[in-house]
Amino acid sequence: MDGHFNAFTFVNRITALELGISVRGNYFIPPHIQNFPQSLVAEAVGQLAAWGAMSAVDFKCRPVAGIAGHIELLSPVRPGQTLELSVELESVDDEAAAYRGEASADGIPVVRLQNCVGPMLPVEDFDAPQSLREHFAVLHGNGSTPGGFGGIPPLEFVRTGGEPEKSALATLQIPASAEFFSDHFPRRPVFPGALLMNLNLQLAAILAAEITAPGAGRWNLRTISDVKLRTFILPGEQLELEAKLFARDENSATMLVETRKGGKLAGSARVSFATGGNS
Amino acid sequence: MSNENITKEEIAVIYPKVAETMADALGCDVAKVKLESSLINDLGAESIDFLDIIFRLERTFKVKIPRGKIIETARGELSESAFEQGGVVTDAGVARLKFFLSEVPADRFKTPLKSAEIPKLFTVETFCKMVIRQQRATAAGAAAKPA
Repeated sequence: MDGHFNAFTFVNRITALELGISVRGNYFIPPHIQNFPQSLVAEAVGQLAAWGAMSAVDFKCRPVAGIAGHIELLSPVRPGQTLELSVELESVDDEAAAYRGEASADGIPVVRLQNCVGPMLPVEDFDAPQSLREHFAVLHGNGSTPGGFGGIPPLEFVRTGGEPEKSALATLQIPASAEFFSDHFPRRPVFPGALLMNLNLQLAAILAAEITAPGAGRWNLRTISDVKLRTFILPGEQLELEAKLFARDENSATMLVETRKGGKLAGSARVSFATGGNS
Repeated sequence: MSNENITKEEIAVIYPKVAETMADALGCDVAKVKLESSLINDLGAESIDFLDIIFRLERTFKVKIPRGKIIETARGELSESAFEQGGVVTDAGVARLKFFLSEVPADRFKTPLKSAEIPKLFTVETFCKMVIRQQRATAAGAAAKPA
């Protein structure tokens, strides 16, 4: 199966579209994969927003990952479930697309995004505009064939230090080649921000595990806020990851996760954990 | 187009909220966000931060800020070719910018001034003025609507 519109694509069908205003769709999580993290659920909402934004500007520009003001992680999902996706486009022009959106599974909201902004860049730098138009027609028609995503690729960071209960450091080697690069994007391979976020969350969870939760409970990831991706991460690059405790009270712990490339800040977010709940 | 009638008092009213919004966007202490601070040189803002700041200001003040049009607005009646040539701002363009960005100290206008370097001139006060202009435009638009 060709990787394009498969290897890292999380929209199978667009079920409703009000041009430049709102878009609804769905995605069938392949049943054969091991897991489908919430960062990819958020990516699915972002991809639906991208289709909505691209169609609004006649595929001249596309939004890329930039800012996510607030992401609520409400409930985990599992392979085999269908995600119902909805996006409200707050504004779209040739400079930026602003949106909010939600994903539900079995009628239950699982991830909610607010205050998201994707910088718009020329579509032809990333993909063939005609190919995008044709795939959009498929999505907006009978939909695409599900099952193209083969699961989270094997990516692991290497712990390099930190201070117990205060910070965790790691390095991450981005592979020089991987199937998802053929889809993200065909003309300009870029490491997906959602995969980076997934690794950042794993590092934050390691740090959270070092902090004693009240009442012998455990920390559950609740929200990600102020996500900002500052630069493209390219195949073969090496990154430095850091999670550090930012604030803590009786029932919650907030961490700042930062990614650096050659010492320069490439991305950041605040990650909040709380005790209890269903995460 | 003139901004001369934006008063210090008007700026003082919105500055605290603008500073707070910028500090949130830039992840810095609000005390660092002075009215005269250059966003790029003093606060380390990058292009994604400009986008973030503008959208946050829109939400905070409930106005629509015309993104990417700051320079176009600054240019006013000057044609593009009269404003810049070969990526360098003309003398007429610099004069126009100095008028529009009256809050920017004269010594920050380099000679020659490259168009790409114009955003380096923007200060916190530049954004306060931008919000005030849009508040006025919104109010004027609302007043013009039939009841």
